[in-house]
Amino acid sequence: MLVGAFALAHTPQLIARPDTEDRDLVLRVHAAFARVKARLAALRPDALAVIAGDHVEAFFLDAVPALAVYVGRECAGTFGPYEYRFEIDEALARAVVEQGIERGFDLFYTQDRRLDYAFFVPLHFTMPEPAPPLVPLHVNVYLPPQPTPRRCYEWGRALGEILGGRPERVALIASGGMSHYPGTERYASPDIEWDRQVLETLQAGRGRELAALTGDELDKTGNVELRTWITLLGAVGDRPADVYCYEPSWHHGNAVVEWRL
Amino acid sequence: MSAVTPGAHYPFPPASAYRLNRCLFALKSDAAFRQSFQQDATRAMTEAGLSDQQQKLVLARDRDALVAAGAHPYLVFMADLRLRMDRSAFEYF
Repeated sequence: MLVGAFALAHTPQLIARPDTEDRDLVLRVHAAFARVKARLAALRPDALAVIAGDHVEAFFLDAVPALAVYVGRECAGTFGPYEYRFEIDEALARAVVEQGIERGFDLFYTQDRRLDYAFFVPLHFTMPEPAPPLVPLHVNVYLPPQPTPRRCYEWGRALGEILGGRPERVALIASGGMSHYPGTERYASPDIEWDRQVLETLQAGRGRELAALTGDELDKTGNVELRTWITLLGAVGDRPADVYCYEPSWHHGNAVVEWRL
Repeated sequence: MSAVTPGAHYPFPPASAYRLNRCLFALKSDAAFRQSFQQDATRAMTEAGLSDQQQKLVLARDRDALVAAGAHPYLVFMADLRLRMDRSAFEYF
């Protein structure tokens, strides 16, 4: 069963802050993460299903899955001085990939790829103790052509039904967003107005509208990573979002959001 | 409705730039390659199969020219960041 749903920023500067970043802003996002950590502890999840978009770390151009499930015993990776290692809920991950394929989603799976900071940053700050195992789920956001928002939403709906039919208590986390343009000339101009409109739509409980966005709109607004949120929205439906914070920095719209199930 | 439009921030990486992107990926994610690049960039890039023109673009750290040549903007950004990165310049939480 699904017991919780969250969307969490994964800006790397939240863990490793250079002096270009406003320290007070970083600490305000940390405070929102601390609220999520307390919520997760109260929800007592048996597993965390984390939907994230790999930053061309696990998946390079030699093999580009649209949607992938990590089905190993554990998964690991490094960020700066930190080494992360997480147990995977193998039975649950296997059920996701098997039932997903039965439902017509041609999922890629891996038993040996790394994770990257899309997973580490939210878990660094919100992982409850003791740490429940993960079901890491990858959505291709950076290597075009990416899956359409509609496909992400449909996959999320199937994922919600699969997890909803399981005995484990599962919290769903979408990692990433909102507007940012790493590596492009728009890096210093995130589309904050567009982000705020999306958050208003979500607060009003109209999440399904995001399934109608196009890939072009996501690219134009610096929101290619919103595919992870749209996947989550397929699972949580039109419940209203509780926005813990929206903290736009000079290059990144940092949001922390919960959907109460 | 195409997900890939001319002028996109993240365009399709053409096959002509595969080795260039693989080199940038290695600079981002492979500490051993990064070290060999820092010791002898020309040799590292030659062994990675980059053309003379691609090597010039990497050495010049010219983002716009690299992207025009098919390099993925995120890989250009992160390769450059990793080459310049000094861990002591960060406050870690």
